[in-house]
Amino acid sequence: MPEKEVIIIGGGAAGLAAAVACQQKGIEDILIIERGNYLGGILNQCIHDGFGLEKFRTSLTGPEYAQRYIDQVMDKKIPFLLNSMVLNLTPQKEVMVVSRNGLQRYQAKVVILAMGCRERTRGAIGIPGTRPSGIFTAGVAQELINLKDYMVGEKIVILGSGDIGLIMARRLTLEGAEVITVAEKLPYSSGLPRNINQCLYDFDIPLLLSHTVVDIEGNGRLSGVTIAQLGKRGGIIPGSKRKIICDTLLLSVGLIPENELSREAGIVLDPITGGPQADERGQTSVSGIFACGNVLQVHDIVDNVSLEAEYIVEGVVEYLKGKLTKEREIKVELGNGLRYVVPQKLVSIKDTIFSFRVNRPGRKKTLIFEEDQRIIKKKYFLRVNPAEMLRVKLSSSELEEIKTLKVRLV
Amino acid sequence: MEREFVCIICPNSCQLKVEYEGKTIKKIAGAQCSKGEAFVKNEITNPLRVFTGSVLIENGNFSLVSVKTPSPIPKKYLKKIGEITRRIKVNAPVKIGQIVASNLLDNNIDLIATRKIEKKKSLSF
Repeated sequence: MPEKEVIIIGGGAAGLAAAVACQQKGIEDILIIERGNYLGGILNQCIHDGFGLEKFRTSLTGPEYAQRYIDQVMDKKIPFLLNSMVLNLTPQKEVMVVSRNGLQRYQAKVVILAMGCRERTRGAIGIPGTRPSGIFTAGVAQELINLKDYMVGEKIVILGSGDIGLIMARRLTLEGAEVITVAEKLPYSSGLPRNINQCLYDFDIPLLLSHTVVDIEGNGRLSGVTIAQLGKRGGIIPGSKRKIICDTLLLSVGLIPENELSREAGIVLDPITGGPQADERGQTSVSGIFACGNVLQVHDIVDNVSLEAEYIVEGVVEYLKGKLTKEREIKVELGNGLRYVVPQKLVSIKDTIFSFRVNRPGRKKTLIFEEDQRIIKKKYFLRVNPAEMLRVKLSSSELEEIKTLKVRLV
Repeated sequence: MEREFVCIICPNSCQLKVEYEGKTIKKIAGAQCSKGEAFVKNEITNPLRVFTGSVLIENGNFSLVSVKTPSPIPKKYLKKIGEITRRIKVNAPVKIGQIVASNLLDNNIDLIATRKIEKKKSLSF
């Protein structure tokens, strides 16, 4: 069985950044395994701009952002496989790959999980009604329009106000479709405020908060949806139902980290993030298997994916040198106001970046890190929004003495 | 008059409280950087946006190439440029940054490619 020092599963934003970082740190024996027929993953269909402001200090489109990494992969001749899908990963880091050349097994010293995420579908949210064509997840519609030259419809309703749904509202409008409305179940949007402004309000597309689709009609093709307003407890407000005639429904109702392989390898997952439980190096519960990007936690912006990939590679390098030892195990406890925290545990003493999402929008909030009652660090936020990932760095000296760690938002 | 703007320059999405008269900003609060003021100035005079879209490719390894305007253009032109992109067809190969259409609407609006497209390889059996 061929041996590799580092096998990276996934050639999208996380996988590419991890590969380039590994190469820069002197790791030579790398293999990227990509399921699709090109590198860059989902960035290729994200043709809008606004990527790279943090990483490159300039506004790039998705394909341009990907190309910056692809150029480095090509330039440094980092090996990659396309049209190759990993079918199985073992806790011993055996990787089984299928491609047109048949089955191939590899033995890796380190595996970096970079499989990204996929979209929640109609089935996952259980909308009643018929089963006509014309219902797409927003990302699939994005792929069809931006890469395959297939226009999905003419009169569109979008359910869910995630960023991809908002971006698609603008994209469909510019391609000549009529976007009738965007309905959001929650009383606030799950997309970034800038996208609500430049994708909806710029084109006078109404955003209906506390609204959802309660019925789908149509035989063959979608002919209409019924939307209703939701009360404070999430129930339908009587008399609020109304029918909208449309031929297309896009769903932008959340992303799920794609962790089937992780599960097979026996990796412990976090039920909230849907990604592996990780320590401060991005190492999962299985020694030598690391995770970064949307497979670990769904990110808001791609720059954070790249930064996370580069950050976990520091741990990969130490692991390969045999210097990554478990010095302690502290579970990071989650207090009020926060939906999740990554990493979920600390096993060493190291400068650590913590990522969070808040439960609901708020103003003038303080994030508190504490050991029992002793405050270790505070960070103030003028505004917090579940659409945005918060990232806070704690230094090794701040984390050195602690026996427990709790984070909460007040 | 007083109005709230959401700055779209970066993901921070700063909420800006702005007091202005005609085209002059009198007071601005809430911007985390200096770009906020420049953004508002444009919003109250001539709102600008980068157009992004795609055009058809002939003989390429993909059927579309993504494009953008190299700089922001007046917002009112976005839909018109969208219509135009549906009629443009360019030949592969295309490099990132290559101009695929120029001086659209007689307004000096160019479109440049944002993805590398190679020539389609002929099938060999």
